[in-house]
Amino acid sequence: MKKAIDEKILDEANSWIKANHKVALVTVIKTWGSSPRQVGSKMIVNENGDFSGSVSGGCVESSIIEESLQLIKENMQFKKMELKVSNENAWEVGLACGGEMTIYLEIIN
Amino acid sequence: MKKQLLEQILIKKKHKEEFALITNILTGESFIFEKNKNIDKNFEKYSDEINNYFNNKQNGIIENTDIFIDTYLRPIKVIIVGAVHITQYLLDYAKDLNFEIFIIDPRGYFASEKRFPNMNIINKWPIEAFEEIKTDSSSALIALTHDPKIDDPALKHALKNKFFYIGALGSKKTHLNRCQRLKDSGFKEEEINSIHGPIGIKLGGKSAPEIALSIIAQLVSETHKS
Repeated sequence: MKKAIDEKILDEANSWIKANHKVALVTVIKTWGSSPRQVGSKMIVNENGDFSGSVSGGCVESSIIEESLQLIKENMQFKKMELKVSNENAWEVGLACGGEMTIYLEIIN
Repeated sequence: MKKQLLEQILIKKKHKEEFALITNILTGESFIFEKNKNIDKNFEKYSDEINNYFNNKQNGIIENTDIFIDTYLRPIKVIIVGAVHITQYLLDYAKDLNFEIFIIDPRGYFASEKRFPNMNIINKWPIEAFEEIKTDSSSALIALTHDPKIDDPALKHALKNKFFYIGALGSKKTHLNRCQRLKDSGFKEEEINSIHGPIGIKLGGKSAPEIALSIIAQLVSETHKS
């Protein structure tokens, strides 16, 4: 197997840390159905809610930013999150694409 | 994840090493796995599974465990012959892709640092240049000079080393002549047919950036086939 992409997100995480930001690294660790991004996809979030990278096509990033901010605020080290499609909260956290995925959030410190 | 671990990962990526980041998602611990090196003692009992996943270049949670493996693959070597206008656009399009690019051109005016700052550029004839680059079946060749003196030796090297992608610029007529020369040099028809010529997917454009885009599109598509 060859991989044609090179995620630059970890370089960016490092430069945020060098600039004294608190950084949460978010990684897709499992997917089912038609989730748009592959296992291993990453995004980073800082204490101001700035983010870079992606774990979906924009469907769940907002809720992940909130979870990351909470992780930073409560000084927790890591957290696992499962994201599913559901009609009631489709506007908030649902994957419009109909997929499901597990996300791992961790603080880099 | 510790800052130091992130820095180690970035150094390994910079040195084009192949490794995996292993994380226990229940405890938050992680370590860098490298083939034939000792496994962190907290992960020792998963040693066989980790090696299996790594050898298959597989990412994901190891079945029935809380161990996540994230594999970092070596970039694909792409050798461009011809430091021409199209090459400048190829570099633009390739910068976020996992390619390690080398440019070969024996012509001094073309292969200048000023035209290609911070690039691996080899101002030599292909035969000499390939002595400096280790290539194999996971390498790719983009031949752009359409000058047989320069392109042909590179094409022969790529065919002999079974590059997964070989593309050559030039019209259909140029390509037919090229195929005949390779045939005369003793290459088999199926080898010659593996060359993408005229290079690139059909976009219709004739300008340098459009041709570059069609070449990159073809290269990425071939990357996913093999």
